Amino acid sequence: MQLIKRAVVATVIFLTGLTAQGQTASSEPIRIGWMASLTGPLATAAIGIDAGVRFAVEEINASNGINGRKIELMTRDTAGDPNKAATFAQQLIHADKAVFILGPVNSGEALATVPLVARTGTPNIVIGAVEELTDPKKYPRAFRAINTTTQWLTAADDYVVNSLKKKKIALVGDTTGYGTTSVRTATDEIAKARAAGAEVIMPWSAATGVLARLLNARGDAGWDAPVIGHPSLMALPIKQLLNKPSYWDNVYGAGYVSTSYDASGKLPERTQVLLDKIRPKLGGKDVDILFWWIALGYDAVKVAEHGMRSAGSTDPAAIQKALENTQNFKAVLSTLSYGPDKRDGFPDDNMAIDVANTFKDGSFKLAPR
Amino acid sequence: MNHSPIIAPQVAPASAILCSDSTAMNVRRSLTLRQWLGRAAPLLALVLPFLLGNEYQLHVLTLIGIYWVLVCGLNLVVGYAGQLSVGHVGLLAIGAYTLVILTGRAGVDPLVAMAVAGVLGGLCGFLLGLPALRLPGFYFAMATLAFSLIVTEQLVAHNTLTGGGAGMSAPMFGAPFDTPRGFYYLVALIGLLVTWLTWNIGRRMWGRGLIALRDSDVAAAAVGIPVFRLKLAAFTFSGVTAGVAGSLFASLQGYITPEAFLFELGMFFFICIIIGGRGNIIGPFAGTAVLTLLPEVAAPLAKLGNLLYGVLLLAAVLLIPKGIGSAVTAWTERRRERRHAPPIAPNLSRLAAAIHKPGEST
Amino acid sequence: MLNTLVTGLATGALYAVVAMVFNIMYSTSKVLSLTTGHMAMLGGVFGAYLITGVGLSAWVALPLAMLIGAGFGLLTEFLAIRRVLAQGDEHLWVLSTLALGTIVQHLMALWWGTEPKPFPRLISQDFSAGPWDQKYWLPIGLAALAASGLALFYRRTLLGRVFTAVAEDPFAARARGIAVERVRSMSFALAGILGALAGFAAGQLTFAFFALGMWLTLSGFIALAAGGLGSNLGALVGGVLLGLLSAFSTYFFGAEHQQSVSVGLLLLVLLVKPAGLFGKGIVRHV
Repeated sequence: MQLIKRAVVATVIFLTGLTAQGQTASSEPIRIGWMASLTGPLATAAIGIDAGVRFAVEEINASNGINGRKIELMTRDTAGDPNKAATFAQQLIHADKAVFILGPVNSGEALATVPLVARTGTPNIVIGAVEELTDPKKYPRAFRAINTTTQWLTAADDYVVNSLKKKKIALVGDTTGYGTTSVRTATDEIAKARAAGAEVIMPWSAATGVLARLLNARGDAGWDAPVIGHPSLMALPIKQLLNKPSYWDNVYGAGYVSTSYDASGKLPERTQVLLDKIRPKLGGKDVDILFWWIALGYDAVKVAEHGMRSAGSTDPAAIQKALENTQNFKAVLSTLSYGPDKRDGFPDDNMAIDVANTFKDGSFKLAPR
Repeated sequence: MNHSPIIAPQVAPASAILCSDSTAMNVRRSLTLRQWLGRAAPLLALVLPFLLGNEYQLHVLTLIGIYWVLVCGLNLVVGYAGQLSVGHVGLLAIGAYTLVILTGRAGVDPLVAMAVAGVLGGLCGFLLGLPALRLPGFYFAMATLAFSLIVTEQLVAHNTLTGGGAGMSAPMFGAPFDTPRGFYYLVALIGLLVTWLTWNIGRRMWGRGLIALRDSDVAAAAVGIPVFRLKLAAFTFSGVTAGVAGSLFASLQGYITPEAFLFELGMFFFICIIIGGRGNIIGPFAGTAVLTLLPEVAAPLAKLGNLLYGVLLLAAVLLIPKGIGSAVTAWTERRRERRHAPPIAPNLSRLAAAIHKPGEST
Repeated sequence: MLNTLVTGLATGALYAVVAMVFNIMYSTSKVLSLTTGHMAMLGGVFGAYLITGVGLSAWVALPLAMLIGAGFGLLTEFLAIRRVLAQGDEHLWVLSTLALGTIVQHLMALWWGTEPKPFPRLISQDFSAGPWDQKYWLPIGLAALAASGLALFYRRTLLGRVFTAVAEDPFAARARGIAVERVRSMSFALAGILGALAGFAAGQLTFAFFALGMWLTLSGFIALAAGGLGSNLGALVGGVLLGLLSAFSTYFFGAEHQQSVSVGLLLLVLLVKPAGLFGKGIVRHV
């Protein structure tokens, strides 16, 4: 009796040992590092993108991960500090063994981390729009999932010249970038622009406070010049900061075809699919942030997944090759195409201009041409 | 006996009279923890890279080293001379951009550029200190703060030279410092050099003079200490270390933007010294190490990480108000008291005899 | 130009009140609490929350916001000042107040959100009022009121005279039977009330934003240095000067040099008058 018992126990232990071994090998998680400025002054975009990232990871893990391996998402809050971003990048790669880095969201932080990540040879999905963030030679494994600032500017300029048929643009920039919160003399900027004969106001700032003040100044002064510029012009928080809802009239923002309602009021199919899938996670009601943020986060993960699936492994060189050979990858926000010398995969034909005050459920109506 | 009074209060002189010879010898021979650490630290610094697991830890260690180069020099100003300088991040930025501009736009060798950065940092420290050090404490702080704000703003404004808001990339140093480990050794060497310099300054008349003027500049002046000149010299020295630290910092980060040099970093350096305890060297070093590691420890908490950092900082202040250095000293003092019997032991029988004089009631 | 002037006066008034709050706390504790700006932030955020979120009228929300400010002031005194002053090294309060400010800011980020939110209209007024808009004149009015109110308080009321006594010489005050620690707590509560009031009045100018704290602390600090530590008139003048300089330098030189010009000019003031414009000559214990 004793012998049989011992034999059974031994066999069970042996078998569990075997299967446990087998489990560890194939179920070791794929660690992805994700850096975002979740508590910095411009956190709303990062929080939206974060929602998309987390949803994509959950979705992939629910369907058995990538080749049987689940994704372990390691999130780091950079709070708008490039120094923190640089150390976190190091931490994620060397200490936490991340095989893929997503972000950071803020260009200021990304400028610091992209070269660093490139030096370690880790693949990086770039989420910032500033031109300098991608370079096929310097950062061969950094692939951008969002458009570039040039694409935004071209789309806006094109609309001003060809559709609004105006020539004199008052360009308003924010040299302090993301950090400061000073109260700008918006009224004076508007007055100066008007006195100089500007026909269009073009602000390129992501700070909703600054943008709201500009719109309020324009409205209070009774000036009806069109305003066109940064997508944040269309964000819902702006509406709440306006003195009168009518100040949101004649305001256009750089947007995307994929997050715009077409003539019959429908969204593109892939956008609608993601919207329906993720809506329960966001509270079940209408989406009250810019949906393209969520789609961008989702796409970042999907591109990484595509790279790893095509490569069949997490080997960085294989992923690089796989992504270089990616053409027309049907993501949600866009259809991305890369190449051996191309790291900016966002198509020009996805750029659109939307009307700000048509915000509904995260998307907009296209601006009339 | 050549123990400097700055390093630890000595029990030996008084006890030598009252104890037996052997006890006095014991107390004298056992090194204070601080001296022991002071002798072991350089060795530890040189051996550490081989004890570490991964490159991230090396990166953090190098960062601590770089911050320490600046804080060590700043320690003379804040810790010893008691001046409230919160704007040294401006000098750090000047050092960093000097390296980046000279190597990027003029093709200068990084080591030479670093030397220039140190000189420029010292020069700016001198020019800033000249008017600012005449101001009383709080106003001096405001002047240094204003300096750092102006520096960061001008860095963005002159964007053809500095790359403006987009920043510029920084090179690695030449061989043998072009690997992470090699670079760490460069930083460690410079750090040890600066520590040795400040330790010597601290021990000798200069350092005593600085402490004297911190505690009472009127009394110091009355004794003949050239107060303003000392303050300016210390401030200039701290400018040199800040400039050198800045160039090392740029190279470590690989890419610098003006956003890396915000006011918060200036406060950070000041806090490192305060939390470490003033008047010594090992305290601020411990402070720098702890404060650099704190965000890394809180990092995995993502959104809650920054909140945790604030809570830990507040807890540290409330629990060790005299600074880490003093906490260490206090702890070693208590240990030593437990090990060695108090030198003065009452002679109870003699005392009893004196009290109970014959004929008196008890 | 008129707009620039009015904006400068309004932001300057806000800085001035923050500087006065610094003064109130400094006078009884010799501490420059870095939580000053956060008191104003709390006033603005809770004002917006109570009026738009909870639906209270401004008349009820204002005293509630001031209460919250007082509570935060007392918390500052209890957590960050009391123990630190009693045993710590000099300047340790910089750390403790900074840490407390960071905690409050991040709690707000988590609860209120990281976007600036609107502050409701307090007096019904059309938006085309231009430079006569209430968002400029509320802070300006408050600054004037605060300066004169504090002056009256310190000179005419018994409690104010007690505050002054403690400020001038805490040992003598204690010898006269004044409970110095309690006075200190009260002064921090008063500082919190004024700070919250400032945030409430300037809410329409700054929006209800969680990250206001650090910026206001800094600006108030600069205003105080220029005007002279310990003087409320100095705080008023320093604040208005800083606000006007910022506004006009933005107008003439663009925002790129805004800080350099305004802060640089104030540095020049310090060079001419090292104790600030209205600073008292520093009495040094020899």
